[in-house]
Amino acid sequence: MTDKPDVHDLLNFLLDYATTLMGVGVHTSRIVRNTSRIASRFGYETDITMFQKTIIMSIRNNESPRVYSSVKRTKVLALNFRINSNLSALSWRTYDEQLPLSRITELYNEIMAEKNMSRWWVLFLVCCANAAFCRLFMGDVWAMCIVFVATLVGFFVRQEMMRRHINHHFVFVASSFIASLIGSSAIYISACTTPQIALATSVLYLIPGVPLINSIIDIIEGHVLVGFTRFVNACMLIICIAVGLSSTLLLIGIDSL
Amino acid sequence: MSIEFLEAVIFDGLFAAVAAIGFSVISNPPRKAIYVSALLAAVGHGLRFFLMKNTSLDIGMASFFAAFSIGLFSIFFAKIIRCPAEVFSFPSLLPMIPGMYAYKTVLSLVKFMEHANDDTSTAIMVDIFRNGITTVFILFALVIGAAIPMFIFYKQSFMMTRLLK
Repeated sequence: MTDKPDVHDLLNFLLDYATTLMGVGVHTSRIVRNTSRIASRFGYETDITMFQKTIIMSIRNNESPRVYSSVKRTKVLALNFRINSNLSALSWRTYDEQLPLSRITELYNEIMAEKNMSRWWVLFLVCCANAAFCRLFMGDVWAMCIVFVATLVGFFVRQEMMRRHINHHFVFVASSFIASLIGSSAIYISACTTPQIALATSVLYLIPGVPLINSIIDIIEGHVLVGFTRFVNACMLIICIAVGLSSTLLLIGIDSL
Repeated sequence: MSIEFLEAVIFDGLFAAVAAIGFSVISNPPRKAIYVSALLAAVGHGLRFFLMKNTSLDIGMASFFAAFSIGLFSIFFAKIIRCPAEVFSFPSLLPMIPGMYAYKTVLSLVKFMEHANDDTSTAIMVDIFRNGITTVFILFALVIGAAIPMFIFYKQSFMMTRLLK
């Protein structure tokens, strides 16, 4: 192969690629497969050790006995399915079209630079979603309106706090407390016949569904360590939501429910 | 099957679709995937509603079958729009999350702490366990139901994003 890149460049790129995938919430076996696929295009074999916080990777080829290893910290990114999908497609393109490393890096940077949906749109759609969710639990129109407002305020607070990089767990406790406090106002509106449902649904936009599903898939596929770490992290967030919700319950007095 | 029942199923699916759209945009999906997850959520939630009302299945088993059908459809759609299947199967599971049971578990936990010395605590214990166990079972039914199709089509599920066939 004449177009063989510098092995250190390749290793750095692969680590960058793998840590990005880890950051945007891809399940472990896909990360391993995608990364190995890119490496195999250049004739290298990879062995990857994966943790929630760091990724260790060794690459080698058959022509020389040398093994190159490196470690990289996982990036802290928001969940992003677009990057997941596009980077998986990139790995196949690399393999099928035999792209050179410089071109892959270029495409990778393009994918990473693409804009996400505007945060106001996200805010609006999440509010509609939670209101619809309230209807699925047989809430009435009043409950839906209250859940809409509760989600609006709660999710906005969450977005603002996330932007300021405040502790993840504190963000969850605070926004679940605020959302459920607003949701609890349904109790004092006599027209609302289903105040409990409003209160219950107001915090559900926070549920870390995707990490939870990823963790179980990891465990089933045998990546038990990573899967369990993800599971514990997701459970911590659920406990945070419960803490916020129970603060509200204690505040408004449990006997009124 | 009466018209009213059919209407109820369709409305159920419609609201599930709205919920799925909102919950999927949190995780920044590709645009095409949003529509598919709305469709899958409508099918899945509608199916669960239908199964719970028309058959003797409990909510856990009904969720399992609904999640299984979502998983199968997601593999099918993944082939068409060339996305990994989980991009739309995960958000479309979210409207089936047992929020009310989870809430009731928390509520009875708080009640249990407040009435520690009462005779009522036995009844509250039953509440905690009933709601808590239901929550956990539904969650597992959802995840495993959606994951099984991925394991059946294991090889294919990694090849969805390949352009060359």
